[in-house]
Order: sequence, then structure tokens, then C-alpha cells
Amino acid sequence: MLLNGIITGLIMGGILSLPVLGVAVIYGITGIPNFAIGVIGVLGGFVTWYFLSFNMGVAIVIGIAVCFIIGYIIQRILLTPISERGGDSTLFFIITVSVGFVFEGIIRAIFPRPNISLELPRIGTINLAGVTVEGFKIFALLFALGTLVVIRLLEEHTEIGKSWQATSQNLKLAKLIGINTNRVFSIASGIGCALACVGAIFWGSLYNLQVSTGWDLGFMGFIIAVVGGIGNIWGGIISALIMGMVMSFSGYLLGGEWQSVILYFIVILVLIIAPKGILGSERSL
Amino acid sequence: MKDHYEKIGTILALLLPLLFVFRGGYLQEVTGYVYLFLIQGYVAWFLFFKSGQPFFGYSVTMAVGAYGTIVLTEIFGWPILASMFISSVFAPVVGIILFLSTIRARGFYVSMASFLLAILFPKLINALQDITGGRSGLYFSGVTAFIGYKTLYILIIFLTAAVAAFFLWIMGTKTGKILTLISENDRLTQAVGINTLKYKIIAYSIAGFISGLGGAFYVNYTGFISSIDIEVFTTLYIFFIPLIGGSKVFYGPVLGALFVILMPELLVPVERYFRIFFGLIFIVVIVMLPEGLAPNIQKLFRKIHLKKT
Repeated sequence: MLLNGIITGLIMGGILSLPVLGVAVIYGITGIPNFAIGVIGVLGGFVTWYFLSFNMGVAIVIGIAVCFIIGYIIQRILLTPISERGGDSTLFFIITVSVGFVFEGIIRAIFPRPNISLELPRIGTINLAGVTVEGFKIFALLFALGTLVVIRLLEEHTEIGKSWQATSQNLKLAKLIGINTNRVFSIASGIGCALACVGAIFWGSLYNLQVSTGWDLGFMGFIIAVVGGIGNIWGGIISALIMGMVMSFSGYLLGGEWQSVILYFIVILVLIIAPKGILGSERSL
Repeated sequence: MKDHYEKIGTILALLLPLLFVFRGGYLQEVTGYVYLFLIQGYVAWFLFFKSGQPFFGYSVTMAVGAYGTIVLTEIFGWPILASMFISSVFAPVVGIILFLSTIRARGFYVSMASFLLAILFPKLINALQDITGGRSGLYFSGVTAFIGYKTLYILIIFLTAAVAAFFLWIMGTKTGKILTLISENDRLTQAVGINTLKYKIIAYSIAGFISGLGGAFYVNYTGFISSIDIEVFTTLYIFFIPLIGGSKVFYGPVLGALFVILMPELLVPVERYFRIFFGLIFIVVIVMLPEGLAPNIQKLFRKIHLKKT
């Protein structure tokens, strides 16, 4: 049971780490807590589902592209202008929740089905120390960890990554040396929403994808990022894996209804004991 | 003096729906809901906007009042009024414990802790479904079995007017002025030797009690409560009431409650697109009218008046 719990928890944490990564990228670079990314990600999941019968690869690319574009545009026309006028975290919280309402409405209007299941090809099963695990779940976990590595490499070794770092460390200086900070913010927001979309696609393939899943992914993504130290990518991943295991074991021991109760309770405790999260954060809310 | 008339006018205007008692029906029912949420809206107005306390757990304090009333009456067999009162007294405890626990943290972290509590609470209600009924909820005849629906409606109208008058009164007292000072500059208030902790606890106690009392009346009026009624969106709607209406003006929450509760009723013909309109309207109001509806309506009236003269 112990090993089974650990593996299930790691996989759950791996999937959750994608929206967490989205929140961490957006917050780390723009300083804006975006609560709408889960709903936008789920919209991408529904779009992928719609095109799935044509071609799986194309459907996934379309879903991710739609989310990237939405994230880019929202940042460009709404969030950056508000940030420039001096908006605080509470205002962004309210604005992004309202943005979430709009996209929730769009999903309900375009896709009348309340929940969907994304049928992606299964890889078979793998035996891990006597525990049989679906290969697709292992793929989801490895994909999440691979995405983290790619983001870190992007950040360290590419022009855009360096401009991310400069913008997040000193906005005024970044502007002075000629970095188009508006573009950097918009790309970060687009990537964040695209990551949430990938998380939603995995979620929809392993479980069911509902409109409300978007809020769960968004809120969980945010709180897990806070526990890890918001804006801190490594902290976010470690926190996601720990929280995945918390959910897995509380589900085993107490039943499904208690999973999220225990999760949120622990998060509140972490906020009380260590408001800057497990690994701390350079930015503060 | 003009401000004084405005405040008295707001309280008298709050009593106007008493006229619906003669008419009854749908209009009366909806007005009852608007007033029950207006009570919560005034709590948010007082605690968040006037006392500067970053609290988002309004649905939790409301739910403690509501569920407490049912559990004490139905399971423990307490008299209904005693159950309502004790639940309302217990409601602020949640807010105060959270406030004292997060005392080391600042600003948005405190908001987040209370917001997480608002997410956690309905999940806890679901987990405890043997007692609370979870998503299926609990039915409750409450005081309507003794005094009837119309009398309860009248009581809710008077309670709302009394809550508004109370908040108006308290903001004019020494306590209210200190709370305003705290909301404007907490550190400075501390520096001049005021025990800010004491006043913040007073603010949480008042807000929690009134929110809990509102919750107790809510469950009596609706005759039913489930975890769906106290989802995290309930706390957001409550917070939007003073924000949309205008937090700087005393009658702002009245406009906000009309807007937030009646807007879904008006959007029934386009139900499918309801959330899109709802979200867009919030964004437009917050971005274009950051002070809320009330000051802008005031400006509009002034312009019309000037044109006439």
C-alpha cells in the first residue's frame, strides 16, 4: 500500500505540477497572481477534445496554441496595463477570477457537454517494484519533469530566458537596456496558460475533465505554488509532488472526500507557519 | 449635513421593500435574497474596506451561523432562537483564530489564508455529510413554522436596515475612527500608542457575529442549505457587493447587492452566456469604474442637475 500510495501521489503531483509551473512562470516573471489559468487550460482541453477525431497531434497543438494566444492577449490588453497603473495583488485576484468567469462561460456556451474524457492512446503497463502502473501515467510524470528541465534550460541559455530573468529581477533596468518587457510578460503569460492546458489534457485523459476542473486546477496550482514559494519553480515542483502524495495517502486512509480537506488544511498551516513557502520566494505577495 | 441626509435616506430606502409584503410572490422572494446578501455585503464593507482587514472568509462565517442553527436545533434539540444566537456568537471565532494565526504574515497572504478557508469549508461540509447532508443538503422549517414566511421577510428587512444603521453608527464612534485609521496606516496607528490588535479583534468579532446572524436568518428564509450554497463563489459574490457598488459611499453596498444578486435574474433569457456577461461586467466595472457604481451615478446625477440649472 505504501509503495502504491507513493507512486499514485507522485503521478498526481506530476500532473498538478504543470499548472503549478504555469503559475510559477507567470508570477515569477510578471509578479501577477493569475487565477484564471486553470479555466483557460481546461478550455484548451475542451478544444483538444473537439479536434481529437481529426488528428491527435494536431488537436493537442491547437489546444495548446489557443491557450498560449489567450494568455498572451489577456496579459497584453488587460493585466499589464493594470499593473502599470499600480494594481495590487487583491485587484489582480479579483480581475483574474472575473476573467475565469468569462472563459468558464465560453466553455459552457461552446461545449454543451458538462464533462469529457480525452481518449489518448495508452502505452500499456509497467511493473515498478511489484506495483503495476499504467505507462501513460509514468509518461505524464516524466513529461512534467521534462517540462521543468526545458523551462530551466530556456531560462538559462536563451535570449528570451535571459530577458525573463532581467525583467523579473529589475523591471526598470530591463526597460532601460532595451528589453521589450510588455512582450516578455505576454509570452510568460502565454506559456503559463499553455502549461495549464497540458495539465488539463493529462487530467482529462486520466480522469474526467469538467468545467469546474479549471477552478480546481487554478486554485490548487496557485496554493501549491504558494507552499513551494510562489515564483520559485523548483519549490513549486517539490511542493506539487508532496501535495500529490498527501492527496494520495489521505484518499487511501480517510476516503476521497477528505483528500482536498486535508490538502487545503495543510496549505493553510504552511501559510501560517512559513508564509514564504518551503523554499522561499524572491518576490512577496 | 448633505452626507447626513444621504445616510438617513439610505436606511429609510432600505425599508421600502416592506411594500412587497402586500404583493408577495416572486418579487418578495428575490428581495429577501438581496437583503440577506446585503447583510453580508455590509459585513465585507465594514471589515475589508473600512477596517482594512484582508478577510475573504465571508461564506464561512455565514455558513457557521447557518449550519450551527440547524445542528443545534435539529440534533441537540435547542430552542431555535438560542441556536441562532449561539451560532452567531461562534461565527467570529473562525475569523479571529485565522487572524491571530496569520498575525506574522502580511497583506495578500492573510487574504489567501481566509480565501483557502472559504474553499476548504464546503469540502469539509461534504466530508461530514452524515451530519451536514453534504451536497444533498439539509431541510429546515425553522422559525417559519412559528411566525410564517411573511413575518420572517419583514424581520429580514428590519434586520438589514438595523445592520446598516449599526455600521453607520459604529464608523462614527471612537472605535470606528480608529479602525479607519488602521485601514489607512496600520503602523502609524500603532506608533501613536493605539492597541491595534484589540481594535482588529473587535472588528472581526462584530463582522463575524453579524455575518453568522445573517447566515442563521438565511437558512430560516431558504429552508434549506447545502455545501453548494457556501461554495467559494459565494464569498466572491459577497466581496463583489461593496466593490461593485462603491466602497467609499455608505449606500454603495445597496447598489452592489442589487447588481450582484439581480443581474443573474436579468440574464435568465441569455442563461447560456450568463457567466460571460457576468465576468465581463465585473471586469469593465473594476477597470473603468474603480470607485464602483455609486460615485459615478452620483456624478451623473450632478451633471444632469447642472445641465438643468
